Amino acid sequence: MLMARANFRRAKGQTAAIALLVLLAAFMLNLWLMLATDYKQNFDRYHDKLNGEHVTLVMNDDREEVREFLAKTLGEDDRVTEYCMDDAFFMVGSFVYHQGEVNTELVILEKETALNRPIGTVEIVEDGGPESGVYLPMLYGSDGRIRTGETIALTIGNRTRDYQVCGFLNSVMAGSHNCSMSVVMFTEDRYEELKRERELIPSTLVSVRIRDKGESQEMEADLKEALSARYPEIRTQTNSYELVTSSRYISQMICSGIVSAMAFLVTLIALVVIASNVIHYIQENMKNLGVLKAVGYESGQIMGALLFQFSGVALAAALAGIGLSYGLFPAVNTMMISQTGIPYAVRFLPLPFFLTVFISVGAVSLTVWLSARRIRKLEPIMALREGIRTHSFRKNHVPLERTGLPLSFALALKTTLSGVKQNVTMCITMLVLSLVLVFSGLMVENMIVDMTPFVNMIVGEMADSCISVRAEAEEEFLRRMEADERVEKVYLFHTANAVHVGGIGLMATVTDDFADVNNQDVCIEGRYPRYDNEVAVAVKYAREKGLAIGDEITMAAEGKEAKYLICGYTQISNNLGRDCMFLRSGYERMGSIPNASYYINLAEGVDVDAFQEEVGAWLGDDMNAAINILDVLEGTGRVYVSLMTAIVIAILILSGVVILFVLYLLVRSMLARKKREYGILKALGFTTGQLVLQTALSFMPAVVLSTAAGLLISAQVINPLTALFLHGIGIVKCTFTVPVAFTTAAGAGMCLLAFLLACLPSLKIRKIAPKELLSGE
Amino acid sequence: MKETLLKTENLSKSFSNGGTLQHVLKNIDLELYKGDFTVIMGASGAGKSTLLYALSGMDTPTLGRIAFGEEVLSEKSSDALAVFRRKHCGFVFQQIYLIDGMSVMDNVLAAGFLVSRDRKALLQRAKELFLKVDIPEKTWGKFPAQLSGGEAQRVGIVRALINSPEILFADEPTGALNSRTGLDVLDTLTAFHEQGQSVVMVTHDMRSARRGNRILYLKDGSVLGECDLGVYVPGDEKRHEKLKSFLAEMGW
Repeated sequence: MLMARANFRRAKGQTAAIALLVLLAAFMLNLWLMLATDYKQNFDRYHDKLNGEHVTLVMNDDREEVREFLAKTLGEDDRVTEYCMDDAFFMVGSFVYHQGEVNTELVILEKETALNRPIGTVEIVEDGGPESGVYLPMLYGSDGRIRTGETIALTIGNRTRDYQVCGFLNSVMAGSHNCSMSVVMFTEDRYEELKRERELIPSTLVSVRIRDKGESQEMEADLKEALSARYPEIRTQTNSYELVTSSRYISQMICSGIVSAMAFLVTLIALVVIASNVIHYIQENMKNLGVLKAVGYESGQIMGALLFQFSGVALAAALAGIGLSYGLFPAVNTMMISQTGIPYAVRFLPLPFFLTVFISVGAVSLTVWLSARRIRKLEPIMALREGIRTHSFRKNHVPLERTGLPLSFALALKTTLSGVKQNVTMCITMLVLSLVLVFSGLMVENMIVDMTPFVNMIVGEMADSCISVRAEAEEEFLRRMEADERVEKVYLFHTANAVHVGGIGLMATVTDDFADVNNQDVCIEGRYPRYDNEVAVAVKYAREKGLAIGDEITMAAEGKEAKYLICGYTQISNNLGRDCMFLRSGYERMGSIPNASYYINLAEGVDVDAFQEEVGAWLGDDMNAAINILDVLEGTGRVYVSLMTAIVIAILILSGVVILFVLYLLVRSMLARKKREYGILKALGFTTGQLVLQTALSFMPAVVLSTAAGLLISAQVINPLTALFLHGIGIVKCTFTVPVAFTTAAGAGMCLLAFLLACLPSLKIRKIAPKELLSGE
Repeated sequence: MKETLLKTENLSKSFSNGGTLQHVLKNIDLELYKGDFTVIMGASGAGKSTLLYALSGMDTPTLGRIAFGEEVLSEKSSDALAVFRRKHCGFVFQQIYLIDGMSVMDNVLAAGFLVSRDRKALLQRAKELFLKVDIPEKTWGKFPAQLSGGEAQRVGIVRALINSPEILFADEPTGALNSRTGLDVLDTLTAFHEQGQSVVMVTHDMRSARRGNRILYLKDGSVLGECDLGVYVPGDEKRHEKLKSFLAEMGW
C-alpha cells in the first residue's frame, strides 16, 4: 500500500495518462455492450408491449372473399397463434425528409383502428398537435426534422396532398421505411376524405403472430405464396419479424461494430502501454527493488503493490469511463432512434457495467502480472548493481564515425534502434490508428463526400427517375420516352415478389436486358441472367442456403413454379440480402408484371420533378407512381451519412487523443530513463531544442514505418473488413475505392501530429540541468 | 603578463533552502588565466563545485558578472550557455558520465560533431587524443560498461578535449578512481596542461592539487587565499611543502 502510494506520487502524469487510456477503453466498451446487449432487446420489449406481429401482409384488396381465404389459410396453419385484419389503404407514398424525400410503401390506417388493433397495436409517442391530420412514424420526427403542427406534402400514389402533422407513432413492425412498409395514421376525418375520393383501392392489413418467431421468414413466404397462387392479381407487401429486427437495427449494428472495434483497439493500446510502463518501472527502479528485496520483501509483495497500483487506477478509470458513457449515451441514443425509430429509455444496465469493470480491471491486472514476472527472477545483488546495465554489450547502432546523417538524426536513430519496447508500442499504436484512418478515408470518399459508391452498394441501381405504369400503357409510354430528347435511357427495372421453394420469399428484380442497367457491379460473381431459365441470387442468401452457381432451384410466383439455373451472385442490401434477378421473360414464366416500373436517365440539367409531372399529366391514371430517385436517396441516405460523419469525426478525435497519451507516456518514460544522458549531453553543449528534436525524432522511424505499413495493409484489408461489418445487411464483398491522396495526406498528417505531440512532453528536457551531474560538496 | 580567460566580478550565488536563503558564493572577484592549471580547493560546503558550475556556464550566478573575453556569461540564456560550453569548454566529471548506449568513439564524436562538421579532421583528432591517453584502437568500439574506471576517465578526457576547448574543467576527476588509475588520469591532465591546455580543477586531494600551478582556497563562499606553485615538476618535494603550508595557513 505504501509502495503503491509512493509510486503514484512519483509518476502522477504517467498514472493520469494510463488512467485516461483505460477510461477511453472502458467508455467504448460499456457503450458497445449497452448497444449490443440491451438496445436490440428493447425491440422485443416493444414487440411484446404492442403485441407485435411476426408476419405482416398488406394487400390492395378488401374483399370479404379474399379475407375469408386468408382466415382459412391462417386458421389451418399450426404455426399461427393469432391474427387480425383491418381496413387500410396501401400505396407507394413519399414526403420531404432530411433535405430529400422518403419513399416507401404507405399503410394508411384510421387512428382509432390503429390504436385498438389487438395485434400490432400502434402507440402514439408524441401528440398534442392539430386535431385533423396525420401521425407519422416517430423515426421522422425523432431528430426534430419534422415537427408536430407542421404541414407536410404527402404524395400518395401520384397525387400530393397537404396534411398537418398531429404527432408521431410507434409501430414495431411497420414504423420505418426499413421495414419495407410504413404505417401512417390518419385522423378519422382525413381517412374518410380519402375513402370518399375513391382514388385509392381499399386494402387490408393482416398481422399474424406465430409460435416460433424463428420461422417468421418461412411463414411470410408461405402466406405470400398461398395468396398469390389464389389471387395473382393482388399486389402485396410483406415483412417478417426476422427481417424487421435486422433492418431496423442496421445502424445500431454498424455503430456498435465500430465502437466494439475501437474499444478493442484502444484496450489493446492501453495494455501495451501499461506493459511497457511496468517494464520500464522495473528497469528504472532496479536499485530500489534490490534494496526492498535485500531488506526482506518477497517478490509477491512487490508485484502485489504494482498490481494494487494499476488495478486501482484501472478500476477508478473504468468507473469514470462507464460514467462518461452514460453521460454521452443520450446523444448516441438520439442518433440511434433517428435510425431505428423505436423509443429507448436510457437506464442503468448492470450486465454491461460489471462486464466493463471485469474486463478493464482483469485485463490490466493480467498485463501487469505478466510484465512484472521479471521481479521474481531479480536477485538483490544483481538489482543493486542495476541489473543488466553494467553487463550490457549491445550493438553500437549508427556509429557516428561512419554515418553521414546530421548529429541529431544520428543520435535519434541510435535511440530508436536501441528502444525495442518503445518501438513495439509505437508500431502497434500506429498500425491500429492507420486502420482507423483508412476506414475513415473510405467512409469520407465513398459516403460522406460522394454517396454514390455507398448507394450503389446498398441500393444497387440508380437513375434519375422511376415511373411505374400500368401494363396497357407501357407501349405508348415507351414510345414517347424514346422520342423525348430529355430522356437518355429508359429501361425496365421492376421489383416483384418471388419465393424460393424450400426457402424464403425473395425480392425479385426484373429487367429486359441487364446490359442496360447503370450499375454493372451488383453481380459480384458469375454473370447476370441472359436467358429466361436463369436467375442471379443474393450472395448472402446463397451462402446461407448452400446454393452454388450452376445449381438448379425452383422459384414460385403467383402460384406457378419454374426451375432456374443460378448464373451469378448479386449483392445489394436493400432487402438485407434476400434478392434475386430475372430477365422479364424469365420472371414471366411464373409471374406477371401488371404495373411495370421503368428507370429513366435524364439529360443533364433536366428538372426531374417537372419531367415527372409532365409525364403524369399525359399518363393520367395509367401512372401508378413516380419517384425522384435522387431526392429519395438524399432523404434516406443522408441519415446514414450524418451518422457516419459523426462516427468518423469521433474516431479521428479519439485517434488523436490516443496518440497524445501513448506518446506522452513513452516520452515521459524515456525522459525518466535517460535523464542522466540528457544531463551529460547538456553539459557537453547540446541545447534543449536539439535534445527535444532528437527525442521526438527517435519516435519517428517507428511512427513513419508503421504508419506506411499500416496504411498499405489496411488498404488491402479494409474492404473485406467493411464487408464483415455489413454482412448483416447482405454485403459480403465491398469494392470501395481507397482514397490514395486522402489516405496519404492523412497518414502524413498523423506522422506530423505524432512528431508535434512527441515534442510537447519532451519540452520537460528544459528542466534537466547539467549541474545536477556534478558531484556534491 | 598573463592573458585573462575568465573574469568574475562580485560573483554571488544563493540557494533557497526551506525558506532560508543560503549564500554559497559571496562577491567573488576572480581572474582565470590562459595556460594555467588552476586548482580550487576548500572544505566540504565551501562552494568549490558551485564556483565551477558558474565559471563553466553550467549554472547562472544570482548576482555579479562572469566574462569570457567579450562574452558575458551571466547574461546568456541556457541555450546560449550550451553553445558557449560546446565551443569553449571541456568537462571531466568525477563520475565520468560516459553515455552507456554509445561506443567509446561515439561518446567522443557526439561532442565533436556539435562543433565541427569536418568528419575526417574530427576522426583524426579523436584518434590522436586516444593514442595520447593510451586508449588503443581495439577499445574504441567498446561500450563504457566494458572499460575500467581509469580507461573510462581517460575517454572522458578525450571527449572533453575533442573540440580543443580554451578551458578544461575537471570536477574531482580522480574521486571515483583507485590511487593507481587516479595517478594515470592526473598524468594525462598534466601532460595536456604542459602542451598549453588551460585547466580548472576542483579537488580536495593534495596529491591532485599539487599538479596545479595556481591554488585557490575557498572558505564560506569566498576566495580566502591563493598560492602560486609554479611549474609542476614530478617529485618536487618543496612544491609539496609549499602547498601544505599554504593549506595549513588557510585552516585546511
